[in-house]
Amino acid sequence: MTTAPAPTLLKFIGSKYLVQRLVLATLTGRPIRISQIRASSHSSPGLAPHEVSFLRLLDAITNGAQIEFSYTGTTVLYKPGLITGSAAGQGAQGGVIRHEVPADCARGVSYFLLPLCLLAPFSKAQINVLFTGPGVITSSTETGDVSADTVRTAILPLFRSFGIENNIELRILRRSNTGKDGKGGGGEVQLVFGHQVRLPKTLHLMNAGRVKRIRGVAYSTGVAGANNARLIEAARGVLNEFAPDTYIFSDVSSAPFVPAPERNNPAAKRKTGLGFGLSLVAEANTGVLYSADIASPPSGGEPPEDLGKKCAFQLLEAVEQGGCVSNIAAPTMLTLMAMGSEDVGRITVGKDVLGSEPVMQLARDLRTFGMSGWGLREGDGDGEVVVSIVGKGVGNVGRKIA
Amino acid sequence: ANTMHGRKQPYRVAELARLMYDDMLSTAEVLRRWKGEEDEAEQEDVDEEGQEDELFQRRKTVSDDEEDRIVPKLDYAALETKWTDEENVEALRHRFASARLTGANGE
Repeated sequence: MTTAPAPTLLKFIGSKYLVQRLVLATLTGRPIRISQIRASSHSSPGLAPHEVSFLRLLDAITNGAQIEFSYTGTTVLYKPGLITGSAAGQGAQGGVIRHEVPADCARGVSYFLLPLCLLAPFSKAQINVLFTGPGVITSSTETGDVSADTVRTAILPLFRSFGIENNIELRILRRSNTGKDGKGGGGEVQLVFGHQVRLPKTLHLMNAGRVKRIRGVAYSTGVAGANNARLIEAARGVLNEFAPDTYIFSDVSSAPFVPAPERNNPAAKRKTGLGFGLSLVAEANTGVLYSADIASPPSGGEPPEDLGKKCAFQLLEAVEQGGCVSNIAAPTMLTLMAMGSEDVGRITVGKDVLGSEPVMQLARDLRTFGMSGWGLREGDGDGEVVVSIVGKGVGNVGRKIA
Repeated sequence: ANTMHGRKQPYRVAELARLMYDDMLSTAEVLRRWKGEEDEAEQEDVDEEGQEDELFQRRKTVSDDEEDRIVPKLDYAALETKWTDEENVEALRHRFASARLTGANGE
């Protein structure tokens, strides 16, 4: 077997879009170096706990990856390996990889789930990861993550339009809100992603359609279930005007009990991650999904009525932006389109979704990684743009080589 | 007529396609130009830089903006007024399948 010449190292600067770049590097198999990660921060320079945890996860689901930190943690060199998934003998026990999230993680579990879902279709074996430990927050967070419910109801169904639909499941085993100081939770989530493809199908999504129903999940962990009812009532008060077919599920659970060793009592445990939240998903007749997410802040002081309303307004805003993809799903959809076969895929995107910094940066990063540029043209609807993306057929690098 | 001509029409798609891959500009700048906010915003930037000393600037760079967010930060007070305005509500109705213009709760 001849080894291909090593691709040149791509260099990036800054902590922003770190995960996005690591994912693209893994998918395209190109080594990257990211420098000046929070280099100007006096209090916490270098990689944050959630980023280190994500790198560990990458290491766990790939084979042959090399990760090198600089002494201060402000520079990372990442040479991707093959995405092997939860294959036996690669650190998976009984086909499941256990990923422990540290207690000082301030990001929701969707921070890990979304990139993992992007990698999973291109894995060699199925992906089966159990997120556990004192840092798993299944609710949405103040730091801007969606809840695990939204991943399950608004992100995973998107893969169907790429021909990836079998054996995909996200189990929320134990719920948790954000813990004290916005850190840690103690939830448990398992992602099974068992449909691996050679290349995702070319996508043509031109018609956003009309919203026909709204579904949602209200959750209370460790607090009274009445909070759910209040959240639901407030959200329905806003949404009934638009869609009578609104149904919001209610889930009440006790707070997770995590170990909190003290000097006198090393076996001490405490409850963490108390709070409530709401995840809303609007479904259009064409299968397009818009979502909204909100949770009570760890400091408290927000009545559920206010949060329910805010969540409903957020959903209306997402529907108003229009297009076939909301700003939450846009990076996932656009990246998968770029990974597709060498054909032009088209998707209608709202102008405000396209004209947001993360999407712009994604366009640039994709080009840096050797993908083709996007074609833009005016859409039929008001405020809509048709984005045409030529896939590069790099989809499953791992399968091609192995 | 000159003022109208001189001001570029904001939100033009062709304009964005041109700006998008211009690596000289940051993504924030691209969007500002695209939305036609360039003149005022840039003016303000210059003013600010002149006044603030270096120490303060450095602290500003490690703000919240450095983190990736998925859920955007929204001004909920503004949204509340927006969505209680009858006009906006009516405008959005056509995006919903059950659009009866005098909806179930309509007056």
